[in-house]
Amino acid sequence: MSSAQIRFATLWRREVNRFMKIKKQTLGAPLLETFLYISVFGAALGSRIDKLHGIDYVVFVIPGLIMMAWSTNAFANNSSSILQQKFQGAIQDQLSSPASPAELLLAFSLGGFMRGLIVAGLTFIASSFLVDLPVDHILVLVPSLLLVGFFFSQLGVLIGVRAEQFDDVAFAQTFVLQPLIFLGGVFYSAQLLPQPFETLTHFNPIYYMINLVRYGFVGFSEVSIALSLLALTAATAVLFFVNLRLFTTGYRLRA
Amino acid sequence: MPENALQIDDLVKRYPTGVEALRGVSLEIRPGEMFGLLGPNGAGKSTLIHCTTGLAQVTSGTIAIFGHDAIVDYGEARQAVGLAPQEPNVDWFLTVAETLDYHAGYFGMPKKARLARTEELLETFSLTEKRDERTRTLSGGMKRRLILARAMMHRPRLLILDEPTAGVDVELRLELWHYVQRINREGTTILLTTHYIEEAEQLCDRIAFINSGEIVGEGTSAELASRYGVANLEDAYLALVGRKELSRSHVEVEVEA
Repeated sequence: MSSAQIRFATLWRREVNRFMKIKKQTLGAPLLETFLYISVFGAALGSRIDKLHGIDYVVFVIPGLIMMAWSTNAFANNSSSILQQKFQGAIQDQLSSPASPAELLLAFSLGGFMRGLIVAGLTFIASSFLVDLPVDHILVLVPSLLLVGFFFSQLGVLIGVRAEQFDDVAFAQTFVLQPLIFLGGVFYSAQLLPQPFETLTHFNPIYYMINLVRYGFVGFSEVSIALSLLALTAATAVLFFVNLRLFTTGYRLRA
Repeated sequence: MPENALQIDDLVKRYPTGVEALRGVSLEIRPGEMFGLLGPNGAGKSTLIHCTTGLAQVTSGTIAIFGHDAIVDYGEARQAVGLAPQEPNVDWFLTVAETLDYHAGYFGMPKKARLARTEELLETFSLTEKRDERTRTLSGGMKRRLILARAMMHRPRLLILDEPTAGVDVELRLELWHYVQRINREGTTILLTTHYIEEAEQLCDRIAFINSGEIVGEGTSAELASRYGVANLEDAYLALVGRKELSRSHVEVEVEA
């Protein structure tokens, strides 16, 4: 391995090591949360709800839960990891190393990405035991999930870099991200909503992400798949370059 | 003629608040030197170190480390530097051994070399028994040992010690100075900031005084004393900060009177 490869692998390993050391909190809790959602909305409530768009309610809900698991964990991991390291001053060890801004950004991003991947992957495996979960369009599902994971990793990095106190991260997660996810159609179809809520849902970017993932699993979508994929790719790229700019200029990282 | 270990020219650092922490600092540290940087709190010592190590953005001026531009060619420049900061900024999630291993990884050291170097420095800094403890459980002195060991992990050619003996016991202070003198003899250049003037006087080949973001004096301790027309480095420092009345000779005269 070259010096640069060792450096990048170490930066990434540090991020993975961090969440693996507190896995009850970083992996166990989100898995339990997702399991509870499946139990309450899928099994308990779902047995009283007829099919949605010809799909069993529990099967309709699970793709959104998998997407939610990946996105919230990727976001939470990166925002809290960066803020904690800023708070401790430990980030100085990485910032004063020969690592480039792009290396630092990618390593931080991939930490959350991995945590999201593990939680989403375990959710998928557990769900497969509980229900017959199809994978209708794997060529849409895989890029959609990867893009969703990377988008929320970048968002976590952005919030972590900007945050000056833990309250800033909690605010973004509780008052912005969580409502957008819940109102993005994880548990319902937007077409069933009365106006103006159905139209308003179309302004929620997470609605399109949920539809992409749901289409990948069950083959049903309320939006254009091609356009949604294109928009998600563009949004992820924009966010990446915004973060790269922050790391290059040292915004709230270097004095 | 070999490149200077550190060459700073006309360095200005202005914070977004408008505070000018460094006002045209120029400094040369020769390879193999032990160089002391003295100044009162807020004089700009840490800012200068942060600019050198990439922890602060430079407003203007240049910094070269062994000939590598620390702003443009920062990879090569930072590879040559080891920093033990003033605050023990250890990562709470890591153990003592991991702290050293990860640091070396950030500097591209292969695994075998990292493991051997980790063992060596754990032993040198009496940290072997603590190797598997999380850093947040360490005492202040142990944290200080750890950040010193961490700074030396990748065998830097320029070692920057920012007040390394602040708040440490006599035993560690002496251990540290023995080690620093040894690696200095072996060729490592040292930049030291300290509030203990006798340390700088005993250890450093040359010393610079920094005050209000400017280098106001530079030379050996004898040269600095001579420049301020006083008997020793401590009195020269007191003259710099405008507190001549605290001079030991002054106090002794008053006591006799």
